[in-house]
Amino acid sequence: MNPVRLVFADMRRSLGGVMAVIVLVGVAVALGVAVTAQERALRQGSARAAEAFDLVVGARGSETQLILSTVYLQPALLELMPGGVLKRLAGEEGAVWVAPIVLGDSYEGLPIVGSTSDLITSGGKRRLDEGHMFVSRHEVVVGADVPLALGASFEPAHGLPGPRAESGDVHHGAPYVVVGRMARLGTPWDRAIVAPVEALWTVHARGTGHSAGSARIGPPWDAHEVSGVSAIVVRPRSVADAYRLRGRYRSDASMAVFPAEVLVAIYAILGDARDLLAIISLATQVLVLAAILLAVLASLSQRRRQLAVLRALGAPRAYLFLAVWIHVTVLIAAGAALGLLLGWAGTLGLSNALHAKTGMALPVAMTWSEAALTVGLVGLGAILALIPAWWSYRQPVAEALRS
Amino acid sequence: MGLDLEVRGLALSYPAASGAGLDVLDIPFFRVAAGETVGITGPSGSGKTSLLYVLTGIERPRVGAVRWGGMDLASLSQGRLDRWRRHTVGFVFQEFHLFPGLTALDNVLVPATFDHVAVPGWLRRRAVSLLADVGLADRGVPAARLSRGEMQRVALARALLSEPGVVVADEPTASLDAESAAIVADLLLSTCRAAEATLLVVSHDERLLDRLDAVRRLQGGRLIEQPSPAPR
Repeated sequence: MNPVRLVFADMRRSLGGVMAVIVLVGVAVALGVAVTAQERALRQGSARAAEAFDLVVGARGSETQLILSTVYLQPALLELMPGGVLKRLAGEEGAVWVAPIVLGDSYEGLPIVGSTSDLITSGGKRRLDEGHMFVSRHEVVVGADVPLALGASFEPAHGLPGPRAESGDVHHGAPYVVVGRMARLGTPWDRAIVAPVEALWTVHARGTGHSAGSARIGPPWDAHEVSGVSAIVVRPRSVADAYRLRGRYRSDASMAVFPAEVLVAIYAILGDARDLLAIISLATQVLVLAAILLAVLASLSQRRRQLAVLRALGAPRAYLFLAVWIHVTVLIAAGAALGLLLGWAGTLGLSNALHAKTGMALPVAMTWSEAALTVGLVGLGAILALIPAWWSYRQPVAEALRS
Repeated sequence: MGLDLEVRGLALSYPAASGAGLDVLDIPFFRVAAGETVGITGPSGSGKTSLLYVLTGIERPRVGAVRWGGMDLASLSQGRLDRWRRHTVGFVFQEFHLFPGLTALDNVLVPATFDHVAVPGWLRRRAVSLLADVGLADRGVPAARLSRGEMQRVALARALLSEPGVVVADEPTASLDAESAAIVADLLLSTCRAAEATLLVVSHDERLLDRLDAVRRLQGGRLIEQPSPAPR
């Protein structure tokens, strides 16, 4: 027996209702898919962005804020840490390189970060996409997404990017020239303008860490007094060194943080939110399935006579059972497939929007968990479809023909 | 080849609100010869349609025997009864009951999908031939676009697909205009006679009834005239 042609003819007849059901299931599935896929994309994107930051040392305060401000360049003022800490860290045996981070200036909403070439090249491992590394205090290297061409010059503004930027307070007389562009990192640093740390110290009338009158940039900072920094990024020589340095710089004056530690705490919160949203979306899917089943049962009671005609023509009861089961299962399967597509497209759209907002690339992928969610829903739908199928199977023919 | 029908001691009743059964049919004896064309008429509510349902195994009687070609329908399981009906009985309804989403040809082939995963070529050729016999050249036209007369002709072709020994028609001309009713009546009689199928027609259409071998009148669930095979 093969009721497929009849089922599809029936679907064509009520195309509007069929499409409505498919879209309804699709949206419910898309919600579930988007929740898990987006949470994973956020997790992977944020972890990837933190890869270059093994150990971050900052003034005592919020560890989360320290990581958000340095790794993700979220605009927030950090307490300055005494420059002595930078000087001490730079001399540590267990550190391959140490790079200060000084925040506080911006240009057209883009953060200007004072640091060293080690941070840009990850200690010489990463090459620039174009141009060359800054060699003087008025040169800058920009991220891949900074809309400034090589050779362009600009004057920095005082203040962090964002609503609180003091954009009117321009550091006149201290123009920067773009001399290099970083390769794309897929992190907020793609929108950063990195200047020599001495340049930021200079425009803020602070000591440069070098002898008076010296134009030198980069370590060692051998002046008696080194200006304060927002944070310090450390590349340890080994895991043991990483832990040793973390322990040593957790003091009254500073805190040392592995970004991964902070991320794990954030992921725990994110995971809880995901679990809650997943439960809500699952409940939505079950409600949608229940609504569809009720609609199918209502529509079947209107089509009792049509089913009875099939029986009068000699259709076995199993034929009706199969026809109704296929009908409902196809609707749910089509809706689930649409939901997978919508969920993927929605996640991609949201990830792109977040990337446009934060600069952080969020890798979107459909994995087994989304496939399992979709297949699970189709499986549940196929089981629930047995109810109307059984109802059809049991219908008395003569009574339905007379109805 | 048509099958002969013999009904003995048939009684059908439905449960009533009062608790007592509502008697619908009470037919001590009724016989139709193989290949005979018989009309059943009577006032509304006299049990004509119920009789058709009982004779085709759609409804089981409270007591009594319905024998087609000597085989008692009561002896068949539900599955075998369904199989017997789809291979032995062709049904024509007053309201045609075509499936609007299917073409004329696919409607004729619906009963073939009960037995086959893919409709065999010979059945498809037979369906095409049957549509030609009932005068429907455009077999690809969707059923919803057919006139009522054309719909009933497609329904007739569908009823004849399995070369049934018995054709049962419930008011086949009642929903049609006079011209279409005459065409359908012609086709019903000519095709059944050509196939030597036994034809039972429930109808009020005198012009159709006049052309049948015999007519039985049903009143209050009882056949008024005693069955006696009429000469053909």
